[in-house]
Amino acid sequence: MAGVELSGVSKRFGDVSVIDNVSLEIAQGEFVVFLGPSGCGKSTLLRLVAGLEQLDEGAILIDGNRVDNLPPGKRDVAMVFQHYALYPHMTVRDNLAFGLRNTGVSEDEIGGRIATAVEKLEIGDFLQRRPGQLSGGQKQRVAIARAIVKQPKLFLFDEPLSNLDAALRARTRIELAQLHQQLRTTMIFVTHDQVEAMTLADRIVVINERRIEQIGTPMEVYRRPATSFVASFVGTPKINLVPVTAANAGGLAAARMPDGTLLETTIPWDEALARDGATLGLRPENVRITGATQGQAPATARVVERLGERTIVYAALADGTLLTTEDRGDSTVQPGDEVGLAIDGNAAHLFAADGTGHHAGAA
Amino acid sequence: MLASQQGRRSTWDRWSGMLFVAPYLLLFVLMLVVPLVIGFRLSLTRGDLFGIREEVGFANYGRLFADPVFIQVIWNTLYFVVLTVPAFAVLGLLLALALNQQSRWAAVLRAIFFASTVLSVTVVTLIWRLVLLPEQGLAAVLANAIGAEPVAFLSSQATAMPAIAVTTIWWGIGLPMVLFLAALQQVPRDLYEAAALDGASRWRTLRSITLPSIKRTMVLVIIVEIILQFQLFGQAQLLTNGGPNNSTRPIVLFIYEAGWKQWQLGYAAAAAQILFAMIAIAAMAQYYVSSRRDAA
Amino acid sequence: MSSAAVRRVPRAAVIGVTMAAGLMVLPMLWVLILSLKDSSALMADTTTAFSPPWTLVNYANIVGDGQVAVWLLNSTIVSLLMTGGVLFLSSLAGYGFARLEFPGRNILFIVVLFGLAIPEQAVIIGRHQLFAAAEMHNTYTALVMPGLSAPFGVFLMTQYFRAIPREIDEAAMLDGASRFRVFWRVLLPLTVPAQATLGIFTFFHAWNDYWWPLISATNRDMLTLTVGIAASQQNFAQAEGLGFLMAQAVFAGLPVLIIYVIFQKYIVRAVAGAAGQ
Repeated sequence: MAGVELSGVSKRFGDVSVIDNVSLEIAQGEFVVFLGPSGCGKSTLLRLVAGLEQLDEGAILIDGNRVDNLPPGKRDVAMVFQHYALYPHMTVRDNLAFGLRNTGVSEDEIGGRIATAVEKLEIGDFLQRRPGQLSGGQKQRVAIARAIVKQPKLFLFDEPLSNLDAALRARTRIELAQLHQQLRTTMIFVTHDQVEAMTLADRIVVINERRIEQIGTPMEVYRRPATSFVASFVGTPKINLVPVTAANAGGLAAARMPDGTLLETTIPWDEALARDGATLGLRPENVRITGATQGQAPATARVVERLGERTIVYAALADGTLLTTEDRGDSTVQPGDEVGLAIDGNAAHLFAADGTGHHAGAA
Repeated sequence: MLASQQGRRSTWDRWSGMLFVAPYLLLFVLMLVVPLVIGFRLSLTRGDLFGIREEVGFANYGRLFADPVFIQVIWNTLYFVVLTVPAFAVLGLLLALALNQQSRWAAVLRAIFFASTVLSVTVVTLIWRLVLLPEQGLAAVLANAIGAEPVAFLSSQATAMPAIAVTTIWWGIGLPMVLFLAALQQVPRDLYEAAALDGASRWRTLRSITLPSIKRTMVLVIIVEIILQFQLFGQAQLLTNGGPNNSTRPIVLFIYEAGWKQWQLGYAAAAAQILFAMIAIAAMAQYYVSSRRDAA
Repeated sequence: MSSAAVRRVPRAAVIGVTMAAGLMVLPMLWVLILSLKDSSALMADTTTAFSPPWTLVNYANIVGDGQVAVWLLNSTIVSLLMTGGVLFLSSLAGYGFARLEFPGRNILFIVVLFGLAIPEQAVIIGRHQLFAAAEMHNTYTALVMPGLSAPFGVFLMTQYFRAIPREIDEAAMLDGASRFRVFWRVLLPLTVPAQATLGIFTFFHAWNDYWWPLISATNRDMLTLTVGIAASQQNFAQAEGLGFLMAQAVFAGLPVLIIYVIFQKYIVRAVAGAAGQ
């Protein structure tokens, strides 16, 4: 049975459609991340599941039960909010207990559940404090604890890490992953940060402009982006998208780049690629710097960023097209140097005029 | 069945929020809207002590503008506004500038200047009656001490209104002061630091940074004070009762006496409508200023 | 702080405002010493107040005179009822306007805002007629009810509720709290600072209100202290004597000043807020 099922869900605010006919199944115990730019509708989708927004069309099921008519408190879900939303006038302990008291859990049981959560999240030292006296990281742990004590069927996270500093964010990310392994409860996590999505998710739901662009495991989303939007949204540095003319070269696609270079790929030919021009997608790690006379295309290094374990080189092709490329960490390339680019045609992506992705290997 | 249940619940959802605002709205209608309508209706009637009324249209308004006393009370009120409002604005600003600092002493002084604001009008007039009392008042005692001739402030046409104005300024100076203080706190500190680095003198900093930054508050203070001082009542009623020779009778006292001394309710109501119109104009100006502040 | 050089106020200005503060306090001190003097001594010459003997006889007379005690009780009852009523009504309405959806909400709120611009003069005759028709003058109800309709409290509480992040309500809803429980257990406790400001402001307003009690309460036993003092003031010539009158002024003014000193922060904030809205 599906943990969560959305079918044909639509939502409008007045005349503005914010979610357009979205269907999705999430398995019991799965960790799913809604990933997308701000304003894409991912938070609205989460709030529809929580019951904080009423849907206009479609149905939402949790554990096989229809919940879209139920108020939020009766859906058996817990949510961790972006700004934590702790009750400022209650102690940490009362924050944890509030929801349990509302649903008539006995005080003994409340005490037991709080003790467990306190141990798991190491918040015992400030149970009697109020949220105002806690640091951002401590508030975050309390917010998570407040969700855990409810023992819900489903956890919802609305960009919960966006207010933490970089170090704390990385640590909390790991803790959340561990938490999911322990609890094995279904979780939905909303973020615009692709690193969070890649590291946490069993499956990523990429959302753009009110609808789902792609659903897949992190590696599927990275390796076989369904659309050029997904390709450009996932991966740092960003994928290179170059307008090309694609041609059929014996059943496989070949792409003529703006500087005239012909790149042969292992992408099966599809007539859709011939119409109205296509876009070539090249991840920086698949465009390597080589000697000036080597590789498929000559280029000039413009900007060099040394990251230590690797070097990012922004290189211009003969016609001026700028590509983000990679070199080894001990690269000696200087801005202005003439270099050659070794492009891995097997790892290239082609996007038809409508944005649909075509990749090497079986469809 | 599910659908009908949902339908019923959403009707309840739609209207139940009204329950929270209904108690207040009931009072709002009963104590504000209804009296407003009654007042306006009344201004179109003439009644006497026995409650017999006749519709007279706008005759009361015509009578008012032909009534030399009413014309005079309008001038008196304007005179009072002219005496007090600029003083409130200037003194309030000066106090705020002088007291906008963190020292303990400044805090004490701020508290002193605001303290009289919390007193009732009757206590204030009682205090000032004993200050202005001819022969025996504080003013007379002080005048005697420096060998000057004591003045009977409240019984002379020339000094009665200024005396009421001084009493009012003493009573109300706290409000413009705190409004200006709040505005001064809002001026970004880095502006002053930048000015200091530019070597601006204190005077120049005041003129080029402080005053332009609180311009809107200045306008707000002036409008608020105009609205407040237009409603002069208790001080005039208690200190001079409008005398001598009607020279300190303001509009509100006129309304009060027409309504509750002479029981010409229609006439009083008409005068009240005219005052309301004047205040409404000032209130609209205030709304305009404060909404512009939000936009900025 | 580094900008001290710019922000320091010149010494001449400090001396100037200190002297001005002296002028503010002087009338109060004058009344205070007059109140400590036997009325017959003041009749002859008020400057006798500068030298002993001083006496508390005027205050003893006030306590002995039941009338002033009744006024004090009236003022206390009226002010407390009005404060409680305003807090109750404004909290409910503020929550409703800030958080709940119902038809006509925005228009109703704008109408209430317009109420802010209606001066007392425009409605006082109508109110007087209403209570006269209901034969309710000279009751506490008549003294309290008009004050409950003041829109300022609703405006203040609505703004305050709006400033509380909606996430807090949503967390409580997900925690299974009913709408009333969200209001009562979660949001209302968060508005305590605004309640304090509004409560103190309303209390002072009620305590110092003059015109309405003047015309509504005509029975001497229903006067508030503020109106009562006006009544004795107008019989000034044949009054019980200067000292007695001054003791009344101190008696009425001092408690208010003491409360002011204690709650200064809230009072100043409330008054500035009421003027600046």
